[in-house]
This record gives sequence, structure tokens and C-alpha cells, in this order.
Amino acid sequence: MSIAINKLTKTYHADSEFPVHAVQNVDLEINSGEFVAVMGPSGSGKTTLLNLIGGIDTPSSGSVMIDGKDIAELNERQLIGFRRDHVGFIFQDYSLLPVLTALENVEFVMQLQGLSSAECRRRATELLTKVGLAAQMHKVPAKLSGGQQQRVAVARALAPRPRFVMADEPTANLDAQSTAELLDIMQQLNSEEGTTFIFSTHDQRVIKRAKRVIVFEDGQLKQDQCQ
Amino acid sequence: MVSARVEGHSRTSRLLLIIKLAWRNLWRNRLRTGIMLACMVFGLMGVVTMMGFMTGMYANMIDNAISWQTSHLQISQRHYLQDPDINYVITDPNPIVTALSDSSAVKGFSSRVLVDGMVASARASRGVKIVGVDPEAEAVISPIDSHMSDGSWLTLEGRKPIVVSAKTASRLKLMLGSKVVLTFTNTNKDVTGAAFRVQGIFASPSSEFDESHVYVRDEDLRAAAGVQGIHQIAVLLNSADNFERSQVEQIKAALQAVSDPADEVRDWPQIQPLLATLIGQMATSNAVVLVVFVSAMGFGIINIMLMAVFERTREFGVLMAVGMEKGQIFALIVSESALLGAVGALLGIVASSVLMAVLQSTGISLGNMAAGLGAFGVDTMLYPQVSLATYQWVFVAVMVVSVLAAMYPARQILKQRPVQAMSEKH
Repeated sequence: MSIAINKLTKTYHADSEFPVHAVQNVDLEINSGEFVAVMGPSGSGKTTLLNLIGGIDTPSSGSVMIDGKDIAELNERQLIGFRRDHVGFIFQDYSLLPVLTALENVEFVMQLQGLSSAECRRRATELLTKVGLAAQMHKVPAKLSGGQQQRVAVARALAPRPRFVMADEPTANLDAQSTAELLDIMQQLNSEEGTTFIFSTHDQRVIKRAKRVIVFEDGQLKQDQCQ
Repeated sequence: MVSARVEGHSRTSRLLLIIKLAWRNLWRNRLRTGIMLACMVFGLMGVVTMMGFMTGMYANMIDNAISWQTSHLQISQRHYLQDPDINYVITDPNPIVTALSDSSAVKGFSSRVLVDGMVASARASRGVKIVGVDPEAEAVISPIDSHMSDGSWLTLEGRKPIVVSAKTASRLKLMLGSKVVLTFTNTNKDVTGAAFRVQGIFASPSSEFDESHVYVRDEDLRAAAGVQGIHQIAVLLNSADNFERSQVEQIKAALQAVSDPADEVRDWPQIQPLLATLIGQMATSNAVVLVVFVSAMGFGIINIMLMAVFERTREFGVLMAVGMEKGQIFALIVSESALLGAVGALLGIVASSVLMAVLQSTGISLGNMAAGLGAFGVDTMLYPQVSLATYQWVFVAVMVVSVLAAMYPARQILKQRPVQAMSEKH
């Protein structure tokens, strides 16, 4: 599943006398199985780009084509289905449901997909074991460290077997050891499951691990290089 | 077929997931949920007590009126109902008496001779309805023989006994054995009278009834007034629930069928329409009390839900992002509110039924309001009545309001796109 971005622009008008161009005329292609870091200073448009690709925001102009299909043409129900079945999200603040255990958090999206309880349990257990949380899977997020919570978020993002994962500054709140462990896990899952990972980050530790780095500045793509 | 079953199963499991999530969300802020539940429980206890008190009072008023005044049914000649002339007796009582004697639904019946007249003592006089009865038959349909404050109920022995109320005795300065003179118009339109001796003094719950009725034996009144027939047959049924009128209507129809067309069978709502309207009024007043309470409770729930939902706006944004449909988010918010309502209603109903059980055992004494209650024929010891149907209505009303209360907060969240909701910082 490849992503083709054509002349993508997102302009915000709210709360400002002048329009803010969060993303301007971006052309980009990301292929299946890539491990991509989108870097740039705060406000450069990294998160907006990820939101547009993930279908949780709509472009002002241009298009995001997934396997040749413009996601702007999907109706609301189809868009929800697209996000649920094809996109995994990892957020800076983890955004786990505090009333569910780690295991239940990972099962949650699969249950929304309508998978059987047994299948949800099997896959969630497998993923939590992979991210090193086999012993903590019955704990609620409040009982886990930041690094552990982010590992649960990674497992949740991968649970529905998405084609690509949008990770918005996933290591921003983690210490060096947690960051290294998390990146190891994501790289391993990237290679094992063939899932495309797209990070927004300004964390050099993440950028060093990325196979491709895209640099954003003032909403524009300034640099795109493989390493 | 198989795929439809699988789809149905997954829909059920998604619904269970939403309910599980809603239940846990409900207890995220235990203090807030606890305070709301306490408000609901104490509010429901107050509402149920008030409804039970009002129902108990109305029921007591109706029971007393049926016991003392109207019975369940009365048969009289139609002309007598328009103009209570002493000559308008029941045309043919025999088929009615036979039908009543044969009916298992009839607890008892009393044939009465009724004459409007004056009762006079050596001190004073006053206008009364003189009720001539068969003492034994009357004692079956009326509680009068057990409400004698002094002396005894009429007996077949003795010369011209009379039973008066405590109020009449007080006004006319009478005591047991006192002589009174009853004056009335006889069948020949001549004013006549007869002397009686006070054999008993009664007290009913109604001061108005007490002031206007005296009882004598029917044979004594017949002899004095020259009446050949009977003016009224009062019928009491075995039915324990006076709010249930179907049996009364059934017996009424059966009696009307065997009665002479000149005679009319009336049920108690026809005899005392005001009492019948009390039943409707009772339902209305209970509904008003319930509506006021659940409305107030509804605003409380809206407030709670607004807080609970808006402080989790980002979380709802994340749920939308990971693929939760808007309908599922709506169901989640409504389920949280409905579960709050269900828990509050159940706890409130349990607490209320315990309180009602205690009050139904001890009663509520209204002795200091005896004079006022007497005017309405209500006992001074009230026992609140709350039916199962009332509890069901309370539960349904609380649930409906709980669900409605979730609509506004849910709508506010569903108006947002995922990225908007996720940008909220509480």
C-alpha cells in the first residue's frame, strides 16, 4: 500500500486574522514498508501532514492517494473504516484509555473491527509479549511507566494489522533507555510485519534510526533523503 | 446466513464492549458519580414518600367514603334520586335481593329506609338524615358497629333505640339513654314524630357525615312514617382494591338487568363524582411531582455528563481516530448516562421501598390535623401506599430523562472532527 501526496495544502483560518498555511504544496511518495522520519521545528507542519495522511484531517487542496485512491473521496463511514483497518496511530501522550488494562487497550481496536474475542486476545497477547509487556498486560495505564505506556500504544497501533503507522513524536516524553527500547521494537515490527512507519519528530535518536528523513519547514518540504 | 450470524455476533460483542467501557467510565470520578447518585437516591426517597403519602391519603378518603357512605353500589328509584320524596320507594326489590344473595362477589347488602327530618333534644334540634336499617345487615356493610365511642350499635331488642354521632350528641347535649324526638313528614305529607332513646354514640372519620346522620331500626321508622317499601339498597363487594372498578361495573350491569326500569343502580363514582375524580387527580398530582423531580434530576445529569464528556474531548478524538464510529461514541455517552440513571433509580427504589415498608408499619400520625382531615373524611393515622406500577414508572421516568440528558453533551462531541477533538487540552 503506497502513499502518494500531490500538491497537498492545509490552511487554518480559525483564531487568526491571517490564514496559517500548516502544509503548503507538498508532493511526496512513501512506499510500503518504509521507516520514515518527518523532522522539523515545532509548528513546521509535521503533525498536520501525519493527520492528513492518516485521514483524521482534511486537506484544503491537493490530495492524499492511498494505492491510487484519493481518501478525500471516501465518505465518513468509509474514512472511519480506512483509519480503523489501515492506519495505526501513536501519540506523544500515549492516549490510552485509562479505564482499560494494557491488554484491553490493545484488544479494543480489533473489537471495533469485529474480530472474535479469542482472536483479539491471541493477537493482543502476542503483541504485548513482543513489546516486552507480557508481565504487565493486566495493568491499567496509570500503573505503567511512560515507556511502558508508549509500548502499549505501539501494540495498539499494530493490533489491527494496519498498512502504515503514524507516530506523532512518540519519544518526546521518554528517557534515553525507553526511547532506544521503543525504537528497537518498532524497527523489529517494521521488518517482521512489513508495516510502514511514519514518525514526526525532532528527536535525533529517532532520526538516526530512520531509513528516510523528510525535513519540513514552514509547512514546506525542504529535504527528502534516504540514509 | 452464516455471515449474518457472525455480523450479529460481532455487533453484540461491540455493544458489550461499549457497555463495559461506559460502566468503567462511570466510576472514573467516583466522588462526582457518588454525589450524583446520592442526590438521586435521596430525591427519589422524597418523591416516592410524597407520592405514597398522597396516594395513601386519597385511598383512605375513598375507602372511608365507600365504607361509611356510598358502599360500592346503591339501588334506588329514579324519581327518588331527583326528588327524595318518602313515597319513592324501590319498585320491585325482590329480584335485586335474590341476585345479591346469590352473588359470591357481594360481601353484604343493607336495605334502608331514608327520611329527612329533625332530631331534637330538650336543649336543641338539628336537621338530619334518618337512616332506618336492619342492624345486622348494616353492620356487615358498614364499620359503624366497631366505631361506637359509647354504648352499642342498634339491636333487635329494646324499644325504639337510636344511634347518633358524637358530634350530634355534643351539640344536642345527649348521652346514653337520653330521649330524642325525630320529626319528619310521613307518606301522607303530614308532619309526624316519634321519640327514641340513645343506645349508642358513634364517630366516623368524616365530621360532615357525623353531623348529618342518625340510625334507627327500619321497622321503627317504617311504623312512624308509614313507609311500605325501601328507599335504598346499599351493596358492599368483596373487592379489596377500590381503585379497581371493573368488578363494580360488572355487578352493576348484572343488577341493572334484573331491576325494574324505574329503579336505578349507581356505583360509588356516580354517587360521589368528586371522589372518582380524586383517582384521576391523584395520578395527575403524582405525575407532576415525578416530572418536577426528574426534570431537576435531568439537569443534574446534563451537568455531570457535560463535565464528564468535555474533560474527555481529546479522548473522544482519539477514539474517532482509531476507528470508533460516531454512532458508537454516541452509544457510549448515552450508555454512561443510562447506567448512571439505572444505578441511581435502582438504589433510590430500594431505599424508598425500605422507607415505605417502615412507614407502612408505623404509619404517619396526623393527629394535630384531625379537625381539617375530618372535613375530608380522612383518618388521622395515614399509611402511605406505593404500588409496583409506581416504582416501574419512577424507573422508566429516570431512565428516559437520563438518556435524554446525554443527548446534548453527545451532540456537542459528535459535531467535532477527530483532529478538532484531539486538539482540545481539557
